[in-house]
Amino acid sequence: MKNVSMYTLSTCPWCFKTKKFFTERKIKFTYIDYDTAEEDVQKKILEEVDAYGATGFPYVNIGGVIIVGYQPQRYLSALGI
Amino acid sequence: MSEKFVRAISADEIASGGMKSVEIDGKEIVVCNCGGTFHAVQRRCGHMNAPLEMGTLDGKYLTCPMHCAQFDVESGHAISGPVPPDFGGEIPPPVFGEYLQNVGMLMTHVRTESIRTYVTKLEDGWALVAL
Amino acid sequence: MNGKSRKIALHYFFEKVVRPLGFKFTPDAELMDFLLEQEVVLEGKHGVPFCPCQPLRHDRTRDMRIVCPCIPFHRKHFDAIKRCWCGLFVHTDVLDPDTLPQLSPKEAGLE
Repeated sequence: MKNVSMYTLSTCPWCFKTKKFFTERKIKFTYIDYDTAEEDVQKKILEEVDAYGATGFPYVNIGGVIIVGYQPQRYLSALGI
Repeated sequence: MSEKFVRAISADEIASGGMKSVEIDGKEIVVCNCGGTFHAVQRRCGHMNAPLEMGTLDGKYLTCPMHCAQFDVESGHAISGPVPPDFGGEIPPPVFGEYLQNVGMLMTHVRTESIRTYVTKLEDGWALVAL
Repeated sequence: MNGKSRKIALHYFFEKVVRPLGFKFTPDAELMDFLLEQEVVLEGKHGVPFCPCQPLRHDRTRDMRIVCPCIPFHRKHFDAIKRCWCGLFVHTDVLDPDTLPQLSPKEAGLE
């Protein structure tokens, strides 16, 4: 099973939908809500997403494949489902 | 119980989108012409009592000229508090900077209250207000 | 501060700004309501209605680029995907916003 992690915002409906996508399929994932994280964590997150070139959330990492934005079809492909 | 309507101002004295301050029975009232619909509110801003008729009216939203608190003149609701001063990253000179800090500190404790509205109607070319 | 009245006021102010840019509020009423509510919360917290789906950087110059409506600062990107990032606004000809995927500039072929 591929490792799934994501950076999200507590105010973003697409981030809710993304979390729901994995929860409904009983796929384990870890997440950090950027807006409620500590400043040093926020800094690290920004460094990572800026390096990729992402400007918004959700920022999802499925086994090393980065998908920015709510894109359920691409989540399925990356998961190999 | 019937409301007592009083003539506030002649309707054609206020253009659409405009406001005018009147005093009736010792009460300071601002009459607003929101695209032909007239509303009346208390004159003093629910933040720090600035005269609202000197602000701007966009639709039914009044922005106070002093610190830009905003009100819905139909309901009287305060919909936005004051805008804090911002210098876009520029650092003000030391003494003035300290002054701003002190004023800022005092202002953060001030709440923006909703403002009183008065029932308003048009009759015979006059805007009437119920006191 | 009345949140419901503020939501209605934001809708009134924003409509006038986005129309000349070729955008309108999303026809998805539930999404629009949720996003405006989040913006009211963000405005209450920070004094400005920021985009609920983009990160605040605590750098004024960069944060001003995500004040709603942030369309002018991301014109090429949003025109390419026919929506703004959080989906509050879509191109005026869009009838079904569910058909508009949330693509980053890279994925929209802009980089």
